[in-house]
Amino acid sequence: MPRRSYLIASAVVVLLLALLPLAGSRHAVDLTTEVMIYALFALSLNVLVGYTGNVSFGHAAYFAIGGYTCAILLTTHGWPLVLAMPAAVLLAGLVAGVVGFFCVRLTQIYFAMLTLAFAMLVWGVAFKWKEVTGGDDGLTGVKLPAMLANHVNYFYFTLVSVAIAIAALWVICHSAFGLTLVAVRENNVRAGFIGVDTRRMRWAAFTVAGAFGGLAGALFGMYHRGMYIENAFWTESAQVLIMVLLGGLYSFVGPIIGAAVLHLLQVFTNQYTPYWPTVLGLILLVIVLVLPDGLVGLVNRFKGRGRRS
Amino acid sequence: MTTTMFTLNAFYGLALAMNMFIIASGLNLIFGVLRVINFAHGMFYMFGAYIIFTVTKSWGAPFFVGVLASAAGLAVIALVIERLLLRHLYGKEHLMQLLFTFAVVLLMSDAAKMIWGTDQYSVGYPAGLGGAVNLGFVVLPQYQLFLCVVGPLIAIAMWLLVDKTRAGRIVRAATQDREMLAALGVNVPMVYAAVFTIGSALAGVGGALAAPRVALVPGMDATIINECFIIVIIGGLGHMWGSFVGALAFGFVVQFGTVWAPNWQDVLPYLLMLAVLIVRPWGLFGQPESGR
Amino acid sequence: MRFTAAILAVGALGAATASAQEPIRIGAMYPLTGGGAVYGVPAMAGHQLAIEEINARGGVMGRKLVSVERDDKMNPAAASSTMKELITKDKVHIVVGGLASSVGLAMSEVAKQEKVVYIATIPKTIQMTTDKLHRHVFRTASHTDFEGDTMAMLVGKHKLTKLCQLQLDYAYGNDLEAGVLKALPKYAPNAKVALTLKPKLGATDFNPFIPQVMAAGCDGVVSGLWGPHFVSWVKQAKPLGFFDKIKWISGGEIASHEIAGELKDDYPDNVISNTYELWYHAQDASHKAFQEALAKKLGTPETPQWALLGYIGVHYAVAAMEKAKSTDSDAIAGALEGLTIKSPVGTLTIDPKTHQANIGQFWGPMVKKPGRAYRMMDPIEYIQPK
Repeated sequence: MPRRSYLIASAVVVLLLALLPLAGSRHAVDLTTEVMIYALFALSLNVLVGYTGNVSFGHAAYFAIGGYTCAILLTTHGWPLVLAMPAAVLLAGLVAGVVGFFCVRLTQIYFAMLTLAFAMLVWGVAFKWKEVTGGDDGLTGVKLPAMLANHVNYFYFTLVSVAIAIAALWVICHSAFGLTLVAVRENNVRAGFIGVDTRRMRWAAFTVAGAFGGLAGALFGMYHRGMYIENAFWTESAQVLIMVLLGGLYSFVGPIIGAAVLHLLQVFTNQYTPYWPTVLGLILLVIVLVLPDGLVGLVNRFKGRGRRS
Repeated sequence: MTTTMFTLNAFYGLALAMNMFIIASGLNLIFGVLRVINFAHGMFYMFGAYIIFTVTKSWGAPFFVGVLASAAGLAVIALVIERLLLRHLYGKEHLMQLLFTFAVVLLMSDAAKMIWGTDQYSVGYPAGLGGAVNLGFVVLPQYQLFLCVVGPLIAIAMWLLVDKTRAGRIVRAATQDREMLAALGVNVPMVYAAVFTIGSALAGVGGALAAPRVALVPGMDATIINECFIIVIIGGLGHMWGSFVGALAFGFVVQFGTVWAPNWQDVLPYLLMLAVLIVRPWGLFGQPESGR
Repeated sequence: MRFTAAILAVGALGAATASAQEPIRIGAMYPLTGGGAVYGVPAMAGHQLAIEEINARGGVMGRKLVSVERDDKMNPAAASSTMKELITKDKVHIVVGGLASSVGLAMSEVAKQEKVVYIATIPKTIQMTTDKLHRHVFRTASHTDFEGDTMAMLVGKHKLTKLCQLQLDYAYGNDLEAGVLKALPKYAPNAKVALTLKPKLGATDFNPFIPQVMAAGCDGVVSGLWGPHFVSWVKQAKPLGFFDKIKWISGGEIASHEIAGELKDDYPDNVISNTYELWYHAQDASHKAFQEALAKKLGTPETPQWALLGYIGVHYAVAAMEKAKSTDSDAIAGALEGLTIKSPVGTLTIDPKTHQANIGQFWGPMVKKPGRAYRMMDPIEYIQPK
């Protein structure tokens, strides 16, 4: 059961977000929708990176599978949302399960590179299977249910979906399962000695991460009314990993902060200058040199907790 | 496939492998010793190509002076990055070094844009290597022959350096146990700086040597970094001859694969890596690591 | 007292001026970083030149034209968000630009949803003006059917019979292949494609393909290999004497000075290709004036072709607003249909049914010129769709 203060803080955040559309800025609502989707994406990855200690270079694969599946079912096959979205999450989780089965046989950088290999195969399929995915022209014109066509409605839909997903992830990460993952991360060998099937745990974490990543992808594809192969490419995987690192991978909310900060930085720097890589690069450089624990480390410093080992 | 075609493709595969080996060996060195995932390695390659362009085209220097200039230029850039910034991150969470190199990529990409603009450039072949050699049943481009000689030379030079010299022993020791090495009185920070510098200089040389055969455009760093990582991983992390063999596998698979299965071009390197890692989870020559 | 009155007067004047002179905002998105910057940066320069010229002559309907520029990063989802931002936050009245076809289609989708006109100045995907066509999207760039048609015409003209088709394996390459094949029976009924090879997009190593083409014994190559792909092919194929006996007909704009000026002596023989602009050739006085203005802005007479496309996009946008006497999107869309303007390269008209402008390109062989380090097109033929 999370601490009282956390519950109150979360409720306040959700309430504030729910009130956002009343402020009247379309752009703010759109931006917040995007941040929420990326936050979920980053959180899903952190189940693997932060909690289990396994870095994945190919998480965008499940994001893309979720996104494409939902988009294709809605548009090409006319499925209702209530079936299309769970199907997308299920397929993403399933593929993650299959890929994860092979990947968990490796560790460390080899594990990471194998996840990359599989993810690039997913990208290759999205690229070449033009009849179904649209290939490199993308799958545009995704049909949303009429109720969600309005940006405010879609914002609330995303808010509710992401809030539920985050709550679910919280429960998972703080359950016995989650704590066991941390044990596996901290000392793989010792965890094995006390009877933990580390390989199976890592596999489960991989699948969970993939499923929630797929959910983020489904929300993403519907928001943009299109899915593109660029969102399955390794650069998308790198970006979400950067979000996790930026926020701080050893805390639950770190990835949320990282996703918000990185996405907002990218948007704002692009507004101000075509030399946004320099601005963004400098900011990231400063953050990484001053806050090697990520942005959450800054919060912890204020709280006087010091660096968690 | 005729004998001529087969020989030609095998030769091209070899030349590609040698070019890739030169770049990847630098990454392997850095990764093997420093355990740093240097995302910026591809950008170093790109700078190597742009530097030789400036030196040969704008300043009119001969090609090989250009190669040296690329090596020197990247050595300086790498040394500055390492001494000024990277070394603060050694003791920290490993993954933050990844974030750091990502920031370096952003900064260097804009620096390249500011220095060289966004046009595409072309570097000519060095004098005497722009033609082809006719062996009767097959005609081979001279420049690729040159790469097939340079690649193994660099491999042998690195092997001698790492295996036969005291400096090399120190570098190997740094891979195993940094603390013990420091306790024995070795200036470990200097070793790290040297390794990062030499590895990055190799990327610069690789870029310079690749320049006559490709168009120089912004964005040329992106595919190279992935391909280098694949080669290093296939070979086995930290293992130099592993990278050499990995590069050979890469070269042949990509060359023949593109001819025989062009639909799979985009994913051939990844399929290769998949196949190797499933059979040998630590790469062809890699060793499982003790502890974490 | 007088001071207060003065303040009030200035304030009132300012308010009156502001409401009458609210600027017209035009959003522009091109890749300014990464691989697409080679094209996007010049396109943006041409765009800016047009903005400056229009403001210098008094603006649009007496109002200042303000350009809101963004990097589209060659990423469709990011471009989609950025375009929405231009519309909802920056309140632009119209959007121009895009480079990659996927980005163009993403932007077209936003235009459709937000009901704001989008003029695609560079994307060539045929889908944009066929199955994905809608009220608010227009294209002033060329497209693959037209390029394929011209290439087939050139095959017939040069009496080539055994062809090797060399296209990049992605939407543009596949569309161009289809365009060529569609038109071949019309112009060159005796020509046959003996070999089709499709290198991947972004390929830097063409050695798997060069020997195959050389062994096939074709007398002509039809290709869409553009920019860096062509340059790499040339560097790798030239040592083998590839271009000695084969005619290379390309729709990939490799006759542009960006390529010729960079390859210099390495530019091969027997190449016939297209380009949107040649800085050394002007169709008429107004064309020359454009080239001089661009040369002044970029600080060199050897200007890149993409600037022209950015320039034309703005002029079409402005012409439509002036015809409609409004910044309302539906009015602009209505005005664009069938609209004819005078561009530096001639008169352009937008087909009311397909929303496609009949922009042409310069086609011709690239030959050595005495006294010049780079090859030039000669003879130059401006070929425009009807």
